[in-house]
Amino acid sequence: MTTIDPDTVDVILATDCGSTTTKAILIRKTDQGYRQTHRGEAPSTVEAPFADVTMGVVNAVTEVSELAGRRLLDKHGKIIQPARGGKGCDLYISTSSAGGGLQMLVAGVVRQMTAESAKRAALGAGAIVMDVIASNDKRRPHAQIQRIRELRPDMILISGGTDGGTTTHVVQIAELIAPAKPQPRFGRDYRMPIIFAGNTNAAPLIQNVFDDSVDLSIVANLRPVLERENLGPARDEIHNLFLEHVMAHAPGYDKLMEWVDAPIMPTPAAVGNILQTIAQEQGINAVGVDIGGATTDVFSVFDGTFNRTVSANLGMSYSISNVCAEATLPKILRWVHFEMDERELRNRVKNKMIRPTTIPQTVEALIFEQAVAREALRLAYGQHKEFATTLKGIQQQRTVGDTFSQELGGQTIVDNMALDLLVGSGGVLSHAPRMHQTAMMLIDAFAPEGVTRLAKDSIFMMPHLGVLAQVHPKAAMEVFQRDCLIYLGTCVAAKGTGKPGRPCFEYAVKGPGIDERGEMTFGELKLLELGPGQTATITADPARGVNLGAGAGRRIVQRVEGGTVGLILDARGRPLQLPEDRDACRRAIEQWTSSLDLYPQLATAVAS
Amino acid sequence: MKLHLFALSVVFTSLGDAPATATPAPASNLIAQDHRKWDDGTRIDLAWDLSADDETLVAAYRISKALARFGDFQVPLKFELVEIVKAGTGEYTVADLARKIRLENIKTKYADIVDIESLEATNQKTFPVAYVFQIVAVGRDGATSAAATTPPITPTMEWFDGGRFWFLIIVVIFCGAVIFFIQLARGGRPLKVRKIAGLEAIDEAVGRATEMGRSCLYIPGILDMNDIQTIAGINILARVAKTAASYDAKLEVPTSRSLVMATARETVQGAFLAAGHPDAYRKDLIYYVTDEQFGYVAYVQGMMVREKPAACFYMGAFFAESLILAETGNSIGAIQVAGTAMPAQLPFFVAACDYTLIGEEFFAASAYLSGSAEELGSLKGQDVGKIIVGLGIIIGVIMLSAASVILDGSPGSPFGTALLNAVEYLKQVILT
Repeated sequence: MTTIDPDTVDVILATDCGSTTTKAILIRKTDQGYRQTHRGEAPSTVEAPFADVTMGVVNAVTEVSELAGRRLLDKHGKIIQPARGGKGCDLYISTSSAGGGLQMLVAGVVRQMTAESAKRAALGAGAIVMDVIASNDKRRPHAQIQRIRELRPDMILISGGTDGGTTTHVVQIAELIAPAKPQPRFGRDYRMPIIFAGNTNAAPLIQNVFDDSVDLSIVANLRPVLERENLGPARDEIHNLFLEHVMAHAPGYDKLMEWVDAPIMPTPAAVGNILQTIAQEQGINAVGVDIGGATTDVFSVFDGTFNRTVSANLGMSYSISNVCAEATLPKILRWVHFEMDERELRNRVKNKMIRPTTIPQTVEALIFEQAVAREALRLAYGQHKEFATTLKGIQQQRTVGDTFSQELGGQTIVDNMALDLLVGSGGVLSHAPRMHQTAMMLIDAFAPEGVTRLAKDSIFMMPHLGVLAQVHPKAAMEVFQRDCLIYLGTCVAAKGTGKPGRPCFEYAVKGPGIDERGEMTFGELKLLELGPGQTATITADPARGVNLGAGAGRRIVQRVEGGTVGLILDARGRPLQLPEDRDACRRAIEQWTSSLDLYPQLATAVAS
Repeated sequence: MKLHLFALSVVFTSLGDAPATATPAPASNLIAQDHRKWDDGTRIDLAWDLSADDETLVAAYRISKALARFGDFQVPLKFELVEIVKAGTGEYTVADLARKIRLENIKTKYADIVDIESLEATNQKTFPVAYVFQIVAVGRDGATSAAATTPPITPTMEWFDGGRFWFLIIVVIFCGAVIFFIQLARGGRPLKVRKIAGLEAIDEAVGRATEMGRSCLYIPGILDMNDIQTIAGINILARVAKTAASYDAKLEVPTSRSLVMATARETVQGAFLAAGHPDAYRKDLIYYVTDEQFGYVAYVQGMMVREKPAACFYMGAFFAESLILAETGNSIGAIQVAGTAMPAQLPFFVAACDYTLIGEEFFAASAYLSGSAEELGSLKGQDVGKIIVGLGIIIGVIMLSAASVILDGSPGSPFGTALLNAVEYLKQVILT
């Protein structure tokens, strides 16, 4: 890979090699700055009979090439670099989640401390954590060894002990892994990469435990003291080993690695990277979600701290049955404003599971699918909140004033009131027939509080931009803001509860083309027209006990930005509670549905 | 008050040298019978027909009582004044009577009028007491009528004292709440108990010790096993030991009483066994230091500074040593969890420790840890009792304050008086 001079980059080609499709985008420097101009996709070719990822890449790039009228591939099927005249590109980058992405096993001494930090490091690096082995995971050693043998991870991360802390426990964990001899997924000559990021004093002992059958890397302790995490070195090493081992053994990746101008990143790591960059550049707190067929990834950046979780059993096709089992059907149906036959719904769910590519054919099926998505997102966000916490096991500083409020360590750092930007992606969100539906799904599932901007990733471009941000941050930022996100609008939601019909807050929205004022009562939802690019100032006076971001009962004056949906005023209260009674619940949902005009087709059908 | 002055004036008038005056007719048909309502056997109801001169000459009636006999032994009558009631009054309840009297008391008080030897010969320890009552009409000029006297009567005790009716209600509510919640818990209904941060932090503290490769220090107070706080401390030790066993962490318990050491050893051994690590139990880590308060503290403090345990637990009764220990633990960077019911030591623990179990929270911890239906039900039931007491205090304070304000503004206000009477009723009847 050569050093890149950002000033000389005019044409950028980026690909994302997924399990089923390989997506390519073309970014060009225009008068308005960097813009994403064309997009193409083709089936991935990682699996047999092709067993060469570059074939899918070439196909996707060919489509882009044809659409753009720009030759990007030479006669040997290689990407033309640098750009000259009407052909080639200056920069080619790629991400990969093919073959299930990067799958890791992590281990630590105490599950809630070093093991959790290790899990955080692995997830942050874009991995799927298959299991967490810890001294206190309530499994007997033979059960732990059995589990390690059953898994076929791409990589293992061992942590444990602060620097100068326990060595016994760390060596004990290594002694579970060494005899288990976990088998890798790819290649017989593949030596299992093991990263040790624990107590520095234990490193020589760990080296003694493992023989040459594994490739042991020792990096700085990811928890040198319990009060601080140092995840960077472990994450970097995971990326290095991902390229050296996992990618090198995946079919065709050796060729692809030669083509790219920046290291190939695991797709989720790239998404996390762009979200962190945006949060850092704009000084905001952001949450991103990618709901897939099998898994749901949630990313968050609060006060500069990045967290990512993968809810492995929450998805819209392969995992839809699990969503129904975990959330229960009554909880899903509470989001539906008409009666549905439960038996038929169960059939529909199973059908979706065995035929994952099917899409809803009727508006009723669409409403049901979106109800399932709400619950899947709600559950995934709940798991994320539990994981994204302050560090556990640290000394607390108290005063006598804390007598009756002794908070535990390990509190969640996810604060919906502090959330500024909520980004959704994934089929059910990105391909919803109306943007209003996407916005409503996000609001219902994440229950943002105060003023929160809503957006969706138009064509799931975030992975490409994540890699691009590493080599050309300016281009990544410009494309992200102009082409990647479709801003749906802004949600102003009140925190607090009250009886339906009681005053919640008074508002006045003023700006170019908008001058609205009124009162919101509890249980009400209102949509105000505020188009893309439009801004306005909202002044809102909440009722006693209601918080809109400035404190209970305190006025807020804030600039709000419009979008394809508009400005949504949400006085349903937080925590968001739906009426227990089915009829009352149905009426409430019906009212909210019509407030946002979510399903006009249905309204038309009912009217006729 | 007015009645008493009036009574005194009547008594003195009657005792003085009165001039020749008209003597009122006596009260008639004096009847004494056991108190009509349920009582504890200390009351006799008197009723009489008013004197024929009640409306003209009579100023009051003087009621007296006298001991008539102890069991079968007659006693010379020696009347003593019980009360003086106004003219027009036809009944009165004499209270504070004894049903039985002990032989020792008879010897002390009535040796001059009773043949003690005869009483002793019966070999009885106590004797039923019979009373006679007398009523005399007292004229306005102090002249007294002839006396009307009752036959001897002994008060009887009913199976329930009606004066304790409110107490019964309160007991039924309190005990009923406990039983109700126990039954609820036994029936499988989950009883929500607020999370006690100090207990939740045990895992965190032991985890810290494990990660840092250091020990956990447990101090079960400095009192012996006869103190309830030590017992509570030992209960919590079981939980700490179980956690330490499952984390494979070192747990050290220096004690200042030998009996506490023995109990702690058994508790920790049991906990290690329950956690599935009986082999990890080391009894030499639970040891006796000294009974001397500051000798013990000096040892523990020295040990803390030398070995720097990463988790310190102080659970039991503490005195002056609380701050010494907690400050030392804080200075070595340990996570500290304390629990005590000594009010004077709580501020020190709160300021110096990470988590503190305060007073009753410390005792409730055992129920929280065990999760047993009986303990959880009792805890919930007691909470109901506390809520009722709290409400009673708030209502009483509001009523008394309101009465003071109202009566201050408009003396004699019927509403203010009613409030005051209600408070009196609350104090005198319900709460006594």
